[in-house]
Amino acid sequence: MIKNMKQIDRKILLTLVVFIFFFILFIKLILIQIFLHTKINTTVEKMINRENVEIAKRGDILDSKGNILASSIKKYNIFLDPKIIEDLCKLKNILSKNGINVKEKNLDEFGKTSYVPIAFNVDTKFVDKIKNEKLKGVGFENKYIRQYPEGKLLAHILGITGYSGNGLAGIEKSYNEVLSGNNIVTKNRRDGRGHIIRDKFVDKTKICGQNIKLSIDRTIQFIAEQELRKTFEKYKAKKAICIVQDPKTGNILAMVSLPDFDSSVKIKDIEILKNSAISDIYEPGSTFKIVTVSAALEEKKIKLSDVFYLENGRYKIANHTIKDNHKIEDCVSLSKALEQSSNIAMVKIAQKLGKENLYRYIRKFGFYSLTGIDLPDETKGLLKDIKKWNALSLPTISFGQSIGVTAIQMINAFSAIANDGILVKPSVKYIEKSDIKTVENICNHKEIRRVISIETAQILKKLLKNVVDFGTGKSAKIPGYTVGGKTGTAQKFDPITKTYSLKYYIASFCGMVPAMNPKIVILVIIDEPKSTNYYASSVASPVFANIAKRTAQYLNIIKDD
Amino acid sequence: MYKPFLLLIIIILSIFIYLWQQNTSIRYAYKVSRLQSEYDNINSENDSLKLKINSILALEKMDKIAKEKNLSTPDENSIVYID
Repeated sequence: MIKNMKQIDRKILLTLVVFIFFFILFIKLILIQIFLHTKINTTVEKMINRENVEIAKRGDILDSKGNILASSIKKYNIFLDPKIIEDLCKLKNILSKNGINVKEKNLDEFGKTSYVPIAFNVDTKFVDKIKNEKLKGVGFENKYIRQYPEGKLLAHILGITGYSGNGLAGIEKSYNEVLSGNNIVTKNRRDGRGHIIRDKFVDKTKICGQNIKLSIDRTIQFIAEQELRKTFEKYKAKKAICIVQDPKTGNILAMVSLPDFDSSVKIKDIEILKNSAISDIYEPGSTFKIVTVSAALEEKKIKLSDVFYLENGRYKIANHTIKDNHKIEDCVSLSKALEQSSNIAMVKIAQKLGKENLYRYIRKFGFYSLTGIDLPDETKGLLKDIKKWNALSLPTISFGQSIGVTAIQMINAFSAIANDGILVKPSVKYIEKSDIKTVENICNHKEIRRVISIETAQILKKLLKNVVDFGTGKSAKIPGYTVGGKTGTAQKFDPITKTYSLKYYIASFCGMVPAMNPKIVILVIIDEPKSTNYYASSVASPVFANIAKRTAQYLNIIKDD
Repeated sequence: MYKPFLLLIIIILSIFIYLWQQNTSIRYAYKVSRLQSEYDNINSENDSLKLKINSILALEKMDKIAKEKNLSTPDENSIVYID
């Protein structure tokens, strides 16, 4: 009986223990599921969910033939998180075998930080090698680094990007939005070992910035840069500029500004970033005479057969004497006046034309206006309001003094003549054929206005050809091609003495090849050549000839002479 | 008589299918992760190589090499344009 009682007690006890056990489990379950579930869920979510910023690759910049001029490549920075380093000695040994030295001897020397960078801009292969070592406390952060494979070539056109990857100058700045792309945030999950589990595939090509194709041809750019640099160094010039343009479309084929810089190297002097071809104003001198002659011919104030008396080389106006540098005959034809670059003949033409007409044509040719080129920091030049013109304004402006122009304005004005009188908008971005079907449509697309008639443009081209064949531009001749162009040797204005300097000059030449049906227009400007022979015919025209010869050969332009 | 047994089988099968698809989706997620990083690496390597080609073929470098090797511009008549 007692034995049976004991058995029953044991059964009850066992049942009670099991019941209590399950009751405690039940209570714990209630606690977890009802009262603590939010807290636990949040902790787990934090542990497994990861937000990852997918950085968009900046678009490439290509030349007209598709060669890469600027591109971004993925690089990594390696850092240490001292809080999760287990064995510093082992870690230091492995890192030093891979060429990374960590100075700190123990973990305390790192301080409280969780981020200690130890290597910058290393490539993927190197990172994989370190990753394979499975070191605890080593982290990697990726970023894109901008690279310019051509070095200094096109530095002013391409510009630079800042640390954050935004364009700060040149094409990098003007097309920053197109090139940038969009960074996106992806949500991933992480397993217990820290491996990322993705639920979808991210096609990064879709978030990348778009590529920009330029009208610049790197070979023509190289030719222009090489030839200009020779003269720039030979004459120890302050600055030098060269632009090569397709007159029909306005496309810039090459644009050089010296001194230049290497976009891949850290820039110390911001001033060097300035693209002189679009941002610097200069007094053009005799190259500007084409505007005066074009206007007078177009307005029928002069004829090709007109003869001008040159006042024995000295012409007095408003207590000032306008002089001709070269001794020319007493009377000259229009062609001869341009060939010998007579200032006096230009003054007489301008007087016939009148200041309103001259001002109107200056503006029609695009001076004192932005050309609209797709590069940042263009300036519009200097020109006094017509109401403020004094007695000397008309005569001096007629031969390119008392007016400030940019190189891009000057070449665009020559291109208007080359393009039978139509001024087009210059651009450095290549227009895809898929966007615009024909060359005629490209012209219409970029046409600004008709400046002079076809007939006047034809006469001007002939006059410019004569300048090279018989006048001051002889040194611009190239074998096999007819060349038209105009020299310009301008005295620089000295702000200290407030007079034109007899020491500092700007030598320039702007010309076109072939003369009557131009395929290319080239402008060369040499600022302050250090030589007694500072004339454009000696300094700028030979550079033009070398660039024109090599470019014409490269473009396979049909010979016409 | 077989009804409860059939129901049990269906329930067990459903649980099995559920677990199987969960497992499979996780396996594929791992695969996607691996492929994504492989794709990213190949892409960035491709970009690096393209850049390397362009760096090697940079005109300034070519010109320097040509000068070192005493190469000169060919006579105009000996140039044949292929187009």
